[in-house]
Amino acid sequence: MLKNYFKIAIAVLRRRKFFTFISLFGISFTLTILLVLTSFIDKVVGDSYPDRKRDRSLYVTRLQESGKDGQSSSTPSYYFLTHFVGSLKTPVKLGISTSFAGTNTYVNNKKLAVNYKYTNADYWDIMEYDFIEGKAFNKLQIDNADKVAVISEDMKSEYFGDIPSVIGKYIEADNVKYRVIGVVKNVPITSYNLYSDIYLPYTVSKNDYKKGRGYLGDFTAVMLASSTTDVPRMSDEYDAMMRRIPMESKEYNKMSSHAESYFRSYVNTGNDNMSGVTIVLIIITIFVLLVTVLPTLNLVNINITRIMERSSEIGVRKAFGASSGTLVYQFLVENIILTLLGGLIGVVLSFIAIQVINSFHLIPNLVLSINFTVLGIGLLVCFFFGLLSGVYPAWRMSKLNVVTALKAQ
Amino acid sequence: MMFKHLFKLIWNKKKQNFLLMTEMLFSFLVLFAVFTLLVYYYDNYKKPMGFEYQNVWVISYNNAYQTKNADSLNNYYGILRKSIKAMPEVRELSFCSFNTPFSNNMSQGRVTYHKKEFYHMNFYTADDSYQATMNMQVLEGRWFNKTDVVAKDKPIVINSDTKEQLFGKGTAVGQLIVNGDDKDKMMRVIGVVQSIKVKGDYAPAGLGLYQRADTGSLRWFGKIMVQVVPGVSAAFEGRLYKTMANYMKDSNIEIEHLTNKRTSINYFTLIPMIVLSIVGGFLVINVALGLFGVLWYNINQRRGEIGLRRAVGASGNAVSSQLIYESMILATLSLIVGSFFAVQFPLLNVFDLSAGIYISAMLLAIIFIYLLVFVCSLYPGRQAAAIYPAVALHEE
Amino acid sequence: MIRLQNIEKVYRTDTIETLALNSISLDIAKGEFLSIMGPSGCGKSTLLNIMGLLDTPSKGDIKISDQKTDHLSDKQLAQFRNQKLGFIFQSYHLINDLQVLDNVELPLLYRNTTAKERKMLATEALEKVGLSNRIKHFPTQLSGGQRQRVAIARAIVGRPEIILADEPTGNLDSAMGNEIMDILINLNRNEGTTIVMVTHDENMAHKTHRLVRLFDGSQVQ
Repeated sequence: MLKNYFKIAIAVLRRRKFFTFISLFGISFTLTILLVLTSFIDKVVGDSYPDRKRDRSLYVTRLQESGKDGQSSSTPSYYFLTHFVGSLKTPVKLGISTSFAGTNTYVNNKKLAVNYKYTNADYWDIMEYDFIEGKAFNKLQIDNADKVAVISEDMKSEYFGDIPSVIGKYIEADNVKYRVIGVVKNVPITSYNLYSDIYLPYTVSKNDYKKGRGYLGDFTAVMLASSTTDVPRMSDEYDAMMRRIPMESKEYNKMSSHAESYFRSYVNTGNDNMSGVTIVLIIITIFVLLVTVLPTLNLVNINITRIMERSSEIGVRKAFGASSGTLVYQFLVENIILTLLGGLIGVVLSFIAIQVINSFHLIPNLVLSINFTVLGIGLLVCFFFGLLSGVYPAWRMSKLNVVTALKAQ
Repeated sequence: MMFKHLFKLIWNKKKQNFLLMTEMLFSFLVLFAVFTLLVYYYDNYKKPMGFEYQNVWVISYNNAYQTKNADSLNNYYGILRKSIKAMPEVRELSFCSFNTPFSNNMSQGRVTYHKKEFYHMNFYTADDSYQATMNMQVLEGRWFNKTDVVAKDKPIVINSDTKEQLFGKGTAVGQLIVNGDDKDKMMRVIGVVQSIKVKGDYAPAGLGLYQRADTGSLRWFGKIMVQVVPGVSAAFEGRLYKTMANYMKDSNIEIEHLTNKRTSINYFTLIPMIVLSIVGGFLVINVALGLFGVLWYNINQRRGEIGLRRAVGASGNAVSSQLIYESMILATLSLIVGSFFAVQFPLLNVFDLSAGIYISAMLLAIIFIYLLVFVCSLYPGRQAAAIYPAVALHEE
Repeated sequence: MIRLQNIEKVYRTDTIETLALNSISLDIAKGEFLSIMGPSGCGKSTLLNIMGLLDTPSKGDIKISDQKTDHLSDKQLAQFRNQKLGFIFQSYHLINDLQVLDNVELPLLYRNTTAKERKMLATEALEKVGLSNRIKHFPTQLSGGQRQRVAIARAIVGRPEIILADEPTGNLDSAMGNEIMDILINLNRNEGTTIVMVTHDENMAHKTHRLVRLFDGSQVQ
């Protein structure tokens, strides 16, 4: 039966090449747009370099304090993270780092813009950066405030040029010389909590982070649980801590901060009343609807137009014993074959589009790719698309009166 | 007469035409959205930038010198200003608040004028040399100078957008504006400057007012704008950097060029625009092909009717224009429905854009849809005109 | 085999009612070859469609193989047609996208048969109409007479008890028409298939057992 449907589907596709072209064009381009989008999202929030222990980590990136006269929201301070978050029992490690900030350095009369980031020792235990050479700084070096630096691959080639090893060499940034002890694989700027050109021990910062008692500051934290099952407990313990700790000052009567999963912290808006997840989902939904509704309508339109063309076939099939249900099934199968064919072309087009996008280097170090997740989503989209655009025309076809169907020709 | 006849034809095939019209309606709405964005960007783009950014650099610093003593604070920054100004490559410099042009920093508040409240007012704080450093155009009154220290009401300079919103065509200089709704916080306008598009070429300047920097401001400032002579070398920048870093030992220093910052902030508006245009373009091509296909097919289906029309004396041109009219009427019906939805945007003031933008976008979308439908029905129409009555009727 | 009682068919539009069939009663015995004649628009095709359960009468009863059919669902009707009835049309109604063999197999697709069985039965049916050497051709590569023979093969492949033919020779010249007619007569004689045929052609009609004439929806003979 399926083989027969397949034969018919291919024959129909070949008969009206122009219509087939329109259908395939619509399907494949829609899929291309969706696949590139998926691949982008997958890369931006799904890529687990360098935080490979993401499933047992929680991220603290925001603290919001509000009172009668307004509110302030920012990254928390070193004091807040070490004094309060550091007292939690569940996390086995607490990685602390500043958000990246910019400075310049000048080599051979050339200016380099440099982003730097201060971290503690736990940060390097939690994150699994790929070291091209050397290693991270340890607790001892931090306590001694050693002027050492881990730099990115890009920084290495920009600052030192094309030389095999830079370990032990000095890099000057922000008017200070640091000894390079490690080189890591690049992180794209889209992973903004982890990206930097130079990583430094927080103790060498010009700002004495240990001094202040304020809650708001420049730091973010990653908490690591000993296993994935401990993650909910870690989150609960964090919330309990937030309820317990005193207000920073009398101006405020409410304080909120959460230990969140990577995705939630990624889209955190800094405002408790406006969930980043909801906003992102709404935007994506609107975009996807926009991109799919029109091609679907188009396809439905074309499919309906072609009913008349096949009225004789429908009439004959009905006369010889096909029920309406069978016919609906046949046309759906045909349409799904069509969409899958379009999907195949779409995958090829996506491949090309992604190569082109990558070659533009729109975002440095963000290399898009098609993986099985992306392909799986593509296949699902195709299938859904095929059903959606096929159901109504198929229903219309099956409802066609046999007598009129056989008469019209 | 002809129209009535065509309406009848369309009405009798309403089921067939319904989907076609839905498709046109959605295309119109998509185009309306895309054009609204494009018109909005273009509208902003053609307004003047409001200052000369080409040779202006921004120096950022943090952990600045802290002291309770006002004199030593003034002294500290006075020396820094002198040593930078002494460099022959530097034309002018100015200390100012964090919300420099083309950065993501904002400082917004609310002002009241004649009991009317204005939200989203950008508060900029800058010293006396800011206007010269940025080459801003003074449209009315003057920029700050030393005489402002003794003013009774706090002197402010407003931008042209603010002037237009608050005072329309009237004079602004001398008027009093309330900061927030606190009657004790009166501000007197002493000048109007051309608005600066602080968020780049494609974003609106927005309301803005400038307050004069005082000694207290130096405690929280973190930016210095520097205008340099054209064509200075990177070596000079290195020197400037060293000067800063050696003087402010506890600070992290960064020097950025406004030209680069402008490029990158434009990038953030352009990328969504390009993506949306590509997606919109793809949708339009898709719809155009579909429309063309359906119209073409319908004409093949109606060979009998067309043959009959030819036989009863319609010329080839009459037949082809009849088909074009038919699709145009379909488009008109969809556009009427679409415009009903589109017109809600200016009426309900959904995104705080001016009605003019929505209306131009609507007109553009309408013209575009008509053009699209016209082009798509041109060829099928011509084909219909070529149908010979004898052949077509024989086929039936 | 087929029993029609007081069949009436009315076509309604907004303004007018047309009576296509007016109180037709007809009994067709098993193994009979019956032809229906009448001028254009007399309702003969409508009558055939009603017998074939493709159309429903406005009034009256139909019994086929002693079975009442008015209560059957769409699915049951489909199955009933598939098991008991075979159709032949004036304009063949072959599916041009399918090869001859696939066209003939069509009724078997809606039964539980294996691909092998289908192929065997279809080849057998094509042999009966003398077209076993054309099974890989497409309908468009065949002459009118050959196409109609394919259509006959399709009608008989499921071994129905009744074959309904709507002007099977209408599009053919007399030589080819006679050829088709011979196949139908042999089918009726050798297999005992009941055949009801609508025709314009007196010569063809006279080759059948019984002739029914319709005029303006009423039976006149």
